Amino acid sequence: MRAPFYHLAGVEARYRDKTALMVDELALHGGQLNVVAGLNGCGKSTLLNVLAFLMQPTQGVVKFSGKRVRWDRAQLRELRQSVTLVHQEPFLFRGSVASNVSYGAKARGISGYALQERVRKSLELVGLSGFESRNANRLSGGEARRVALARALACDPEVILLDEPIAYVDELSTKIIESLLVASVDRGVLVVVSSHDPTLGVRLNARTIRLQQGRLVQDSEAQEMYAIQSPEGSVYAIL
Amino acid sequence: MGPFTQSAGTAFRLIFSADREVFAAVWTSVSTAGWSTLIASLFGLPIGMAIGLSDFPLKRLTVILLNSLMAMPTVVLGLLIFGLLSRQGVLGVLGLLFTPKAIIVGQSLLAIPIIANYSLSAVRAADARILPTALTLGASTVQSFTQLTNEIRFGIMAAVIAGFGRVISEVGVAMMLGGNIRWYTRTMTTAIALETSKGEFAFGLALGIVLMLISFSINVGLSFMQEEQQP
Amino acid sequence: MRLRTAAFVLVTLLASLGAPAQERLRMSTTTSTENSGLLKVMLPPFEKQCNCHVDVISVGTGKALKLGETGDVDVVLVHARKLEDKFVADGYGVNRRDVMYNDFVIIGPAPDPAHVKDAKTSAEAFKRIADTKSTFISRGDESGTHQKEKEIWAETGVTPQGNWYRSAGQGMGEVITMATEQRGYTLSDRGTYNAFRHGKTDLAVVFEGEKGLFNPYGVIAVNPKKLPHVKYDLAMKFVDFITGPEGQKIIANYKVEGDPIFFVYK
Repeated sequence: MRAPFYHLAGVEARYRDKTALMVDELALHGGQLNVVAGLNGCGKSTLLNVLAFLMQPTQGVVKFSGKRVRWDRAQLRELRQSVTLVHQEPFLFRGSVASNVSYGAKARGISGYALQERVRKSLELVGLSGFESRNANRLSGGEARRVALARALACDPEVILLDEPIAYVDELSTKIIESLLVASVDRGVLVVVSSHDPTLGVRLNARTIRLQQGRLVQDSEAQEMYAIQSPEGSVYAIL
Repeated sequence: MGPFTQSAGTAFRLIFSADREVFAAVWTSVSTAGWSTLIASLFGLPIGMAIGLSDFPLKRLTVILLNSLMAMPTVVLGLLIFGLLSRQGVLGVLGLLFTPKAIIVGQSLLAIPIIANYSLSAVRAADARILPTALTLGASTVQSFTQLTNEIRFGIMAAVIAGFGRVISEVGVAMMLGGNIRWYTRTMTTAIALETSKGEFAFGLALGIVLMLISFSINVGLSFMQEEQQP
Repeated sequence: MRLRTAAFVLVTLLASLGAPAQERLRMSTTTSTENSGLLKVMLPPFEKQCNCHVDVISVGTGKALKLGETGDVDVVLVHARKLEDKFVADGYGVNRRDVMYNDFVIIGPAPDPAHVKDAKTSAEAFKRIADTKSTFISRGDESGTHQKEKEIWAETGVTPQGNWYRSAGQGMGEVITMATEQRGYTLSDRGTYNAFRHGKTDLAVVFEGEKGLFNPYGVIAVNPKKLPHVKYDLAMKFVDFITGPEGQKIIANYKVEGDPIFFVYK
């Protein structure tokens, strides 16, 4: 059994005086497609930000590939080379589609023809071949999302995190994105997708992790369910 | 309208006859303002952006201080630097007083708060996703800040333009630290002050028109650098 | 394209860095002296002779002498005898020499409401202005002209105060302009008045010629013993030039619109 990519223990993250995330234990493995489900405000984005090493938890230990994350700048830069996050509403830099898609690859030292090829391939994967010279700020919503995805793919990361990638996206883009996620997983990439759509995990045959008010309340991989708290505070145990 | 059209006529005559003294004053104005803006940008942009992006206990006070420094009267700043640069002052050994370099020192200090303040605003207004996006794509801290600066380029150039405007139009610092020496530290503004003190209002106004035309041309160039690219 | 613009800007800026090769002599003088235009005629031949540049900083008398005290200039050319003597006595200046002289005049509106024209002495003239509460603009800046004005007021025994007495705190040119606008009187050096006479003011000379209105100019080298970094040799070259035959000739021949501004000692 491979060492888990991520191992979170006792992790707490605060966002503006509110505890946004409280995870006692969570392990994520490579070649796995995970869906983090829950309503808005349940802590999905916070979890993704922690996994992306963009947000430091106030408590707890995060291990990546067996090594403990010390959250210092040098180590973070190195860790971020392996992980990339696509925001819910991705921000595309001013300039062309190509300059956007190549950004991460360039940061990793790739240039010249190799870079060009990578950009071309990434755009092809998201169904936007030939979009290299288009203005990144003049795309439709779905096209922009796909460019952001291509940009992430061009980094060739070990972990891809996507925050609500298919919410309010056109059908074609949805199909493309979903098939791409499956393809990535087949290549051994760890993919984590957040969604408020509870059926997504089923559709993609993915592991579903459900969050409620920052807490992990259900994990389709776990044998038993965690205690579920209803708004009134009473506790149920379901087997 | 009479005196104005007379001055306008004189202004064009001065430009087309390439009057040597006027040209010297224009050159002094533009070069001191240019250097000052450059130096002030090198300090002001990082300072403004750093304050805008970070959070620290005295942040509010710092911003208020910055706002107040923007309104520093030029004569007061001139006086303070005069005290430093005079032979009696701490930096007197440098012998900078009454040279163009002294004007540059003063004007740089004048422009720094303005450039810092404008770039602070530009950073505050920037999309919060820029830095995390760059970072998550593997950029270093420096690279991500460079990207941020590129994204808010319009606001950054606005800061530089504002700084330039402040220094090319001021009199207090140039007069105090430069001494209005003919051919050497006489700027357009100190020349106008001189002509006014001599009662030569029409000529002073003509010089003013020339200065405004120069300023306009320079700003055309600067806004060209500011413009949005159309790929 | 943007890069080329930036490069152009940088090259232009760097061009302005060219350092001047010749020696520079720093001289402080009063605004009225510079505004008379004499130095524009006096300095080029001197600069040629000494192969140097003269930087003229024209400010109020007080500041001109202060710059000498701090050694920010090498030579001082002013017209305030009492202050000059103090400057030398305090050890800041050496080799004070008489250069030239002109005189002060009282100017005022042509209708002359205070009847200054009938006064026999400058003190009487001032008293008439005070008695009629006619508008009087004072330099108010401790300049040579202001010192002279204060001396005359002292003679009258009257302390000028009230709405009619306005202390401007500015140079002679500005004060003449102010007096012109407000139809008032003021004490001016003849040089500046002559420069304004043709078109910039309609005020007329209402009193002149008294011995007490004598306005002598002095040139003083800053004392190298007290301020060792000053360019003493160059300063003395200038002192010798301006008091020598060539300089004196230039002064005597200098005219503005046909009027002589300064006079040399015989």
